[in-house]
Amino acid sequence: MSSILSVQNLNKSFGNKHVLHDVSFDIEKGHIVGLVGPNGAGKSTIMKTMLGLFNFQSGTIKVDGQTVTPMKHEALSKVGALVEHPGIYPFLTGWDHLQLFADGDHQLIHIQKIISQLNMDSYIKRKTKGYSLGMKQKLGIALALVNFPELVILDEPMNGLDPESIKDLRDLIISETQQGATFLISSHILSELQRLAQDLLIIDQGRIVETTTMHDLLASQGKQTIMLMTNDDKRARDVLKKARFKMTADPRIEVVATDDSTMPRVLKTLVQANIDILDVSRLEGNLESSLLEVLKQNRIQQKLAMERAE
Amino acid sequence: MWTLVKQELFKLTRKTSTWVSSFILIGIQFLFAILSRIYPTTFIPANMFESLYFARPFITFYMIAATATIITMEFQYGTMKQVLYRRYSRGQILVSKWLAILVYSLYWYVISTGVTLLLRALLFRHSLSIHQNAGYGDTVFTRGLAISAASFVALWIILSLVFLLANVFSNSVAAVSVGIIGYFGTFIVTQLLTMLIQKWDWAKWNPLTMMLYPSMMARPGYYQTLLNMQSWQMLLGSVVYIAIFLSLGYNVFCRRNM
Ligand SMILES: Nc1ncnc2c1ncn2[C@@H]1O[C@H](COP(=O)(O)OP(=O)(O)O)[C@@H](O)[C@H]1O
Ligand SMILES: [Mg+2]
Repeated sequence: MSSILSVQNLNKSFGNKHVLHDVSFDIEKGHIVGLVGPNGAGKSTIMKTMLGLFNFQSGTIKVDGQTVTPMKHEALSKVGALVEHPGIYPFLTGWDHLQLFADGDHQLIHIQKIISQLNMDSYIKRKTKGYSLGMKQKLGIALALVNFPELVILDEPMNGLDPESIKDLRDLIISETQQGATFLISSHILSELQRLAQDLLIIDQGRIVETTTMHDLLASQGKQTIMLMTNDDKRARDVLKKARFKMTADPRIEVVATDDSTMPRVLKTLVQANIDILDVSRLEGNLESSLLEVLKQNRIQQKLAMERAE
Repeated sequence: MWTLVKQELFKLTRKTSTWVSSFILIGIQFLFAILSRIYPTTFIPANMFESLYFARPFITFYMIAATATIITMEFQYGTMKQVLYRRYSRGQILVSKWLAILVYSLYWYVISTGVTLLLRALLFRHSLSIHQNAGYGDTVFTRGLAISAASFVALWIILSLVFLLANVFSNSVAAVSVGIIGYFGTFIVTQLLTMLIQKWDWAKWNPLTMMLYPSMMARPGYYQTLLNMQSWQMLLGSVVYIAIFLSLGYNVFCRRNM
């Protein structure tokens, strides 16, 4: 069995507000998994429930085969986490925090390594009262990693970090996975995870709407658009429309490419119509729009299902 | 479990308030010892000694605040999640906080008793002997110890209530206010309380009566007839209330969403 985390049919309500609906997923050991969805989708709630912070109505949560509930935390010895805002005592230094939460004293070298990897040396011995948002965020990440966790759960870890720190964090995460750690990282911005996550869980309105890989998602968005500039755009549009190419609503000339042959066929058509082509470019559908597309499709399907049920 | 208690104590020692208050406490004791030395008829040396030179009310206030904040600061700083999502169970986390507060309250009693003995030796070497008879077969010293022990038990009734309230409200203002009202309220309603007890004997088993345990140790003859209780009954009642409040707080803490 190679899954480090297994969540099955998890349902969670706050009062009569049903927030998680039958959430099920598995995380493979050694992978970096992105949990992606808009604000309020339930990302933090899933993470908090997995960490035994919330009671839940039904379902099971297993870390390395061991069940976790609000009253049963033994399995969490393998887990390190940062959920929502880092919890920081203003009257302690960063170093105090790391020492406080480190199990055993033999970890000084490891603590030192994390500090320097995140570039925290200059302020780690200062009281956290004076830390900036980004400094606190980094300390929170360091705390999540301090006990050599097998599974690391990070909730929107890039929040408040400058580009340089984001790079440091990315490098740190990759170096930890090379040593065998598994990561579950949430974000409402997919591109933050683009160079990091292998597997993706897409969540919306408390439901996992798609379980995929970053590779497949990037490939599936293959709906590229070809953009053209000609000496007579109006006539070009008419010609292409007549030739039954799929056009976008844009007043410029944008053709939706259905396969690799679209581009040569478009060019040939225009040349035959005696239109001069001034410029051709391909628009890569970007990552955010493909996420939005997945979410939109899911909402449409849900609406249809509801109408059918009525 | 010992690791968790150590972590809680570590946090307490890193708080400036621990050290500042220790100095304030010693300052208060010095002040009252000097007053007692200058005005021995108003501040009777034997009584002042027994009251640890006014240290107990200060300790009570301070411990009420410390108990409320050991719970509520975790919510205020958002650290409760971090404390909880480790391998330790919720119960262990809460019990470690009880034990840390127990150690902390003992610290205050030891400090204030030590300072009291020191002040007696410094300022009242010739005028007050700790072996002096204090009535009911007690010396000044043993009476002082008996009051300390009783007030420690009474303090814990309040602290267990504060633990409960801090867990319910996650807000120190509510917990501290009720704690302080509980402490003072007792002295205000003593008369009403004794009237009730004279009418219905079972009324003596309410928690406010238990708060009079230290007063009973100071004037055993007077309070025993007034409240119609023996000191062992007071102790028993106190322990039962502490257990009730702590276990209610335990249940609240283990069930809530964090
Ligand atoms: N403690 C709570 N009490 C009531 N509702 C909550 C609580 N925490 C979260 N929610 C609700 O659950 C939903 C999911 O929230 P959350 O998990 O924080 O979303 P995300 O992290 O994906 O932005 C939201 O509608 C939010 O209002
Ligand atoms: Mg969130």
